[in-house]
Amino acid sequence: MSTAGLDPTGATGEVVLAAREVRKSFAIGERSLEILHGADLALRASERLCLMGASGAGKSTFLHILGLLEQPTEGRVILAGEDAWSLPARRRADLRNRHIGFVFQFYHLLPELDAVENVVLPGMIARGGPRFDRSAARERAENLLDRFGLSERLTHRPGQLSGGERQRVAIARALFLDPQVLIADEPTGNLDTQTGERGLDLLLAEQELRGLALLLVTHDERIAARCERTLTMEDGLIQADSAHPVPH
Amino acid sequence: MYRTFLSWRYIVARRTNWIGVVGITVGVGALILILSIMAGFLAESRKTLRGSLSDLIIEPFMIARHGGSTLPESPAPLLEYVRADPRVAAASAHLTWGGMIVHGNKLDDLIRQNPRTHEDGFVQLIGVDATDELATTDLGLALRRPSRLGTTLVDDPEDPFAPPPGTAPGPYAWIVVGEQLAYTHSLRRGSEINVVTVMPDDDGRVRDANRKFRVAGTFRSGENEVDKARIYIDRAELADFLGHRPEHIGGRADHFSQVLVRLVDYPRDGLQVKADLARDLFEAGLVRDPDAGEVKTWEDHRQNLLGAIENEKTLLGIMLSLVLIVAGFTVFAILSMLVTEKRRDIGILTALGATPAGIMGLYLMIGFWDALLGCIGGGVIGVVAAINIDPIEQALSRAFGYQIFNREVYLFDHIPSVVDPGGVAMIITGAFVCTLLFAAYPAWRAARLHPIDALRYE
Ligand SMILES: Nc1ncnc2c1ncn2[C@@H]1O[C@H](COP(=O)(O)OP(=O)(O)O)[C@@H](O)[C@H]1O
Ligand SMILES: [Mg+2]
Repeated sequence: MSTAGLDPTGATGEVVLAAREVRKSFAIGERSLEILHGADLALRASERLCLMGASGAGKSTFLHILGLLEQPTEGRVILAGEDAWSLPARRRADLRNRHIGFVFQFYHLLPELDAVENVVLPGMIARGGPRFDRSAARERAENLLDRFGLSERLTHRPGQLSGGERQRVAIARALFLDPQVLIADEPTGNLDTQTGERGLDLLLAEQELRGLALLLVTHDERIAARCERTLTMEDGLIQADSAHPVPH
Repeated sequence: MYRTFLSWRYIVARRTNWIGVVGITVGVGALILILSIMAGFLAESRKTLRGSLSDLIIEPFMIARHGGSTLPESPAPLLEYVRADPRVAAASAHLTWGGMIVHGNKLDDLIRQNPRTHEDGFVQLIGVDATDELATTDLGLALRRPSRLGTTLVDDPEDPFAPPPGTAPGPYAWIVVGEQLAYTHSLRRGSEINVVTVMPDDDGRVRDANRKFRVAGTFRSGENEVDKARIYIDRAELADFLGHRPEHIGGRADHFSQVLVRLVDYPRDGLQVKADLARDLFEAGLVRDPDAGEVKTWEDHRQNLLGAIENEKTLLGIMLSLVLIVAGFTVFAILSMLVTEKRRDIGILTALGATPAGIMGLYLMIGFWDALLGCIGGGVIGVVAAINIDPIEQALSRAFGYQIFNREVYLFDHIPSVVDPGGVAMIITGAFVCTLLFAAYPAWRAARLHPIDALRYE
């Protein structure tokens, strides 16, 4: 059992997302295969945390559990002070909606919606709070896309966009509701180096600007070098912890 | 919010969904059209069933039972009583009896069936007072309706028993026969027929009688049983034939079996007048028993046939509802395809904060749009087509050079169609319920999809 993820470099700041003793098994036929053996993690506000590890180590699975998409077999996930997996499904969906922004490797945009509509989607799904104001939301989404250099692509559908453009739309969507936590699973893994670099610059700039906590999975050492902290996942556990100097 | 928006977007952006909409449109439209025409035909059949009757039928038990009082033999007091009621428009006395038409005189001729139609010669003799009868029943219509079999109508429908102009005067009374009866026995205007009958004598023995009559023309009521067996005859003539003594004013025999009554407003007053007459006529000594059904409405009289018609309508509705089930199944198939195809979208929506209930709502909503568009389309098409079925049929008949609706077979010269708002509402409700039920399973499956499995799908 590792406590490596729990107490990093003595950094201060409120913990916004934490995993405690998370185990996950998958049923494979008759047998059950444990992928995560008790992983811990604490992500602090404004922190840029990088998770590395061999393919198949369980990084994505861990991210999905932290992102409240997959239920852990054992252990807890604490988000915004709540034990998320013990909440009813509705409340958990609400937490996910308001506090977590996902950026996936394959962008995962809805093909029937144009760029603006894709970005606005989390706002439409949101429950409670102020009533959804369509024109205000559109304006907000357009401003975001504008900042990301997509002002000419507002009404284009994903099929009409390049990989890099889709990734930027996906980032805008993740940021739309101002979440506390941004979770990115190999966000540049599907792009060429230059395009990937550009998307990452954008993501990191926004993260810094907004003071978000970022949890980033990558294989790329250069990307890891731009994070404050890097954890390695090995055999279903968080193994090592290395602090980097903030690069700027 | 996103449910309405996204489901509508799926409907608009994906053409396969329109197959479901078209399916419901066709189902709802066809159902409304067919049931409207069916209702129209049934309304016409109802009219035919009432046809030779009128609104109320008063049939006093004439046979005196042991020790019972004897009712008047003449209809006059009854007619007077009934006509005094302001809710009554007209009344007519019937004298009914049975007989046979005989050709020749040998028993062989009697027994041998008519080779033309294999019908026997049994006839129903209805003695009426022409003026009363024309005011009370639809006989006037039946006398004017063109014959389908090419028989000759009476010369003057207002005075059907009058000798037709240009015929030689003779000793026999003039009668009016149903067109099928005339056709079977090859009767033309002026033909003489021999009618035989039997009747009880005063001393309890059976006596026979026969008499010749002359055909003044034919009628067509549209009711098979009437048109092939009924003979209208002057009531006094029939009473005379049956041997009743002409004991009343003017030497006319005056017997009757029933009195038919036409009301001013049958749907409004029918049941009330029936109840009032049953009670009052009993108190006046004109019927024997207030509760024995001597006063009936025409619907009481035709209960079995009317029940059959209603039954038919219900059965037809149930069978045609299969169309809606087929349309619902189309929606089911399309939505199931959509759920499989849209696994990734479902995963994305979940990642963005949608609940399983929300996903289920999204897919039910697609079914709802299908039902809404289909019902609007089908409702409009069905109602417009039902109202304009006649010109539509004529245009189609012209286009194909084939008469689709043969008006000569029926008593009406247009395709009857009655659009019943309640029925339309029921069909639309049915289509909605059916579609949503069929959408429920794919929607439930969508809600149960594991978001990560869905997202892994690339
Ligand atoms: N639903 C599942 N059923 C069975 N095995 C799974 C499932 N999801 C992931 N795995 C397995 O868990 C391991 C970790 O997968 P993953 O978390 O995707 O690794 P990584 O993202 O680090 O490459 C892999 O061996 C994978 O095959
Ligand atoms: Mg992975």
